[in-house]
Amino acid sequence: MKKFNIWPWIILLIGMVYFFLPLIATFEFSLKMIKDRYTFEAYRVAFTDSKFFLNFGYSVLWAVLTMICSTLLVVPTAYWVHWKMPNARPYVEFVTLMPFVVPAVTLTYGLLSLYGSPPIVLIGSPILLIAGYIVLSLPYMFRAVDTGLRAIDVRTLTEAALSLGAGWGTILTQVIFPNLRVAILSGIFLTFAIVMGEFTFASLLSWPAFGPYLEEIGSMRAYTPQALSVVSFMLTWISIGLLQLIGRGRGQEQVAGAH
Amino acid sequence: MAFLEINNVSKKFGTTEAVSDFNLHVEKGELVSFLGPSGCGKTTTLRMVAGFEVPTGGRIVMDGRDITDLPPNQRDVGMVFQSYALFPNMTVAGNIGFGLKVMKKPAEEINQRVSEMLELINMPKYAERFPYQLSGGQQQRVALARALALRPEMLLLDEPLSALDAKIRVSLRAEIRSIQQKLGITAIYVTHDQEEALSLSDRVVVMNTGRMEQVGTPFEIYNFPTTSFVANFVGTLNTAEVEVTDPAGGLVGMDGVQFVSSDEHVKSRRKGDKVRISIRPERFSFVTEGEKENVVDCRIENITFLGSVVRIQMTIGNQKFNMDTFNRPSLALPEIGDQRQVTCSSKAVLVLKD
Ligand SMILES: Nc1ncnc2c1ncn2[C@@H]1O[C@H](COP(=O)(O)OP(=O)(O)OP(=O)(O)O)[C@@H](O)[C@H]1O
Ligand SMILES: [Mg+2]
Repeated sequence: MKKFNIWPWIILLIGMVYFFLPLIATFEFSLKMIKDRYTFEAYRVAFTDSKFFLNFGYSVLWAVLTMICSTLLVVPTAYWVHWKMPNARPYVEFVTLMPFVVPAVTLTYGLLSLYGSPPIVLIGSPILLIAGYIVLSLPYMFRAVDTGLRAIDVRTLTEAALSLGAGWGTILTQVIFPNLRVAILSGIFLTFAIVMGEFTFASLLSWPAFGPYLEEIGSMRAYTPQALSVVSFMLTWISIGLLQLIGRGRGQEQVAGAH
Repeated sequence: MAFLEINNVSKKFGTTEAVSDFNLHVEKGELVSFLGPSGCGKTTTLRMVAGFEVPTGGRIVMDGRDITDLPPNQRDVGMVFQSYALFPNMTVAGNIGFGLKVMKKPAEEINQRVSEMLELINMPKYAERFPYQLSGGQQQRVALARALALRPEMLLLDEPLSALDAKIRVSLRAEIRSIQQKLGITAIYVTHDQEEALSLSDRVVVMNTGRMEQVGTPFEIYNFPTTSFVANFVGTLNTAEVEVTDPAGGLVGMDGVQFVSSDEHVKSRRKGDKVRISIRPERFSFVTEGEKENVVDCRIENITFLGSVVRIQMTIGNQKFNMDTFNRPSLALPEIGDQRQVTCSSKAVLVLKD
């Protein structure tokens, strides 16, 4: 029999403590707004602030726009790379890693100086913000879609569809997108989570969003920001939870989709 | 005029010449297979007919129309792939009806055609299944139905049975052939399995390193190979280099062993010319009585059972030869190392072109 090895468990435990302790502390702190009692007062205060809903709503709007644009950009690109230019894949992947290499601040100043003066002035329109968010979402979207494309035989499926008379539009909408549904969903959930918590772009480009709002509250109040941090953590977790659920439910979903 | 004409077609990928100077005319309703070893350009040629590759040279004409530069989705061609390539997100019915849906046919017509095709492939109960719920053989039948649903002028199959096990391969190839004949559809069938090519084709194109070696009926290819490549690739043919000793008498010799050949090609040679001959293993037999032609001494080297056939390896002169004989219970097998006499008819000794 194999000897029970305790070390992995100890390391796991240390990791969990490292991760959960601050979270628990934050949660605990957020409940202590009223002296000597645990209450959800801080949450009540947070949720009754009308600016909360405004900023949160804007963030949701940005997130949704980013999810749509990013999907429309990444899926056809990744598909084309798989189908026609497999050699270019490493380069495309490198480009999508840009937000890990170039800090958001640098990227924003780059955007501001390029599009802040003629010939193209985009400051004042949310295009810059969404474009920035798309860049942020690229590593997650591209990887998710790329993995999805590897799982299906893109080349042969495309050729089969072509030989049946289908054009590019039909192939993308009826063959590629449906088979990438799970991959795309996992990409856009991550995108959602990232955009919801993003601070730099929204702040520097002066658009209302949840990130800057959190920051602003943080400098003014003691308990509400902790409550909001917990809420934003929950949101991320719900996104990831949904993602797991969808990923797992795939088989049954396909059968159910028949009727 | 032939239904499909492939005229002087060649295809280069960078500097490698995948296909060179390919010429073939396929008649309407004919099934032609491309047979050859891996990398010889079978798939590339097929893909040029399908429109997935554009030839570097030459023209392809189908039904009198030059289709060389036509995109694949405008050709009237159905294709079956080795990997089935069914759309995983669609049911069997969805897959078969896909082409008709693309053509915006009314739902009524699509349904009718789909059930017709399901009848044809003997799977009427499977309409609502998804590809992952089918066996490999069933998936490939659905893929065939999908390719035929649009009633294409031409059917292209690229090693459709390679991913299946031996039993299914044999039954499915018979099914493919019978469907092809029933519909009278012109077809090209790519395979590297000689048995498959010989058993289901009207004609076989044997290919080697991008070139056509020989085109002919399965009977011609098997019995009268014209090049040593074909001789070796199709069946396990014995080939040997010999010297012409008497052109008029059809005599050739090697290592002190004489063979007489009734092949015309010996007569056109001169004494002393080196030629290659081929002899099918099943044309040899042990000397029993009365044979006079080509009685030669041999030493038995090895004996292998191949089911219904026993293959005996022997040395004649200094060369290795194979002899195939039917595996009968009454067969008196020699021992390894035995010295025996074998014989074959002068008609069995063929002279190869190269
Ligand atoms: N897209 C391509 N780019 C470069 N070379 C290619 C390409 N497709 C095929 N080749 C080359 O062309 C030659 C013929 O390939 P092809 O796929 O036609 O062979 P095949 O006869 O179908 O072999 P197999 O039995 O293994 O399928 C090979 O040497 C192959 O490496
Ligand atoms: Mg091939």
